[in-house]
Amino acid sequence: MKNGSSDYPERLREIIEFFDSLEEVEKRENLIAYADNAPKQEPREGEAFDLEDVRKDEECTDTVGVYLRVEEGNRSCFRIALGPQVQTLTRAMTAILCTGLNGSPPESILDIRQDFVPKIVGGELVRIRSQTVYYVLGRMKGACKAYMHRRDRDSI
Amino acid sequence: MNDKFTSYAHPEAIVDTEWLSQNLDNPAIRIIESNEDVLLYETGHVPGAVHIDWRRDLQDDDIRDYINPEEFAALCSRNGIASDTVCVFYGDKSNWWSCYALWAFRMFGHTNIRIVDGGRAKWFAENRPTTRETPSFPATDYPVPEKRLDDEVRAFAKETLAHAEAGKPLVDVRSPGEFRGDVTHMPDYPQEGVLRGGHIPGAQSTPWSTAANEDATFKSREQLEEIYTKNLNLDPEGETIVYCRIGERSSHTWFVLTYLLGYANVRNYDGSWTEWGNTVRAPIEKGD
Repeated sequence: MKNGSSDYPERLREIIEFFDSLEEVEKRENLIAYADNAPKQEPREGEAFDLEDVRKDEECTDTVGVYLRVEEGNRSCFRIALGPQVQTLTRAMTAILCTGLNGSPPESILDIRQDFVPKIVGGELVRIRSQTVYYVLGRMKGACKAYMHRRDRDSI
Repeated sequence: MNDKFTSYAHPEAIVDTEWLSQNLDNPAIRIIESNEDVLLYETGHVPGAVHIDWRRDLQDDDIRDYINPEEFAALCSRNGIASDTVCVFYGDKSNWWSCYALWAFRMFGHTNIRIVDGGRAKWFAENRPTTRETPSFPATDYPVPEKRLDDEVRAFAKETLAHAEAGKPLVDVRSPGEFRGDVTHMPDYPQEGVLRGGHIPGAQSTPWSTAANEDATFKSREQLEEIYTKNLNLDPEGETIVYCRIGERSSHTWFVLTYLLGYANVRNYDGSWTEWGNTVRAPIEKGD
């Protein structure tokens, strides 16, 4: 069973430890900074992907497109496109998770426990928006699972 | 004044974005942003606007209720609001939460209140100035209200049940699917723990959005009278209770009925469906 932050991919671990050291006000300031960077996670012109999952779920206020390409060395590369009505906290989590998880194998992303989320966003925001804060991670894990299922099926 | 506003019952309770842009430095007003999106204020807001969060600032953190008069006075004081300050509210989601905050201020007897027609979306769509700077105002000596005026603007579950049983008008402003009981939350929003779907017996369905235009502004008085007075047959002098899921969308309708149409006795059942749909043996109707 994985418990410590050392079990997370290195970049994500750094982000978790950084946020965990911040006061609530500083967490919010840094969440805004990450939210500002969410557009940088969108697919770039000419990019090809192994899996594209664009949909509008009840848990989110607008469409979220998750794009996954698994590169040489089993390295995941996520791009995420967010509709204009997506809330700021979801934008922030998008930028954090893309930054923290890109480069990790799909298998390890699927195994990541979500208990790091409160360390990043803080207890107050988790309490207020408990489903929102986990939404993007759930979608990314879903993409990894679908990719792995297809890969395993095709290899038979 | 905006031509549309002059026909409203209380034109003094609504301002447009142009008026706001000309009054940013007006010391007699305090601009207040209240949102659904908990971090939206920090991403940019109207210059000089303070942020009042419906949950953090207005609700008791322990029991499901609002803050007490002492806490309200302290909230106003730290935001530089005096008893005679004109509070001008705006926010996201077609002003749901700003109407909710305004309703809460009214509950504490603060009657110098205004809504910005079109809210945050219109201000940003018009490319008006915004800032990320959080303003600071000298603390005021806001007098502690004698009591919260729950009786005037708020309905509780027992009162709502008695109201329904007496056949008095009850307006459910949720989406049609929520009213019918097909879903227990509004489209695009998470389920927040309601165990049963449907509506309070006798309630009429009129979603809050029927009162709003595409750009989040309020419809004209003539259109609103058509919706509420003519089609719903509500009596402007009678007692009306409005409700939704947690009281925010019904605050929008409460504002429309009270300030734009001048209805004399409208109360918001803020416990709304998250209370009713979980209450043991509370009667429920399903379907249209």
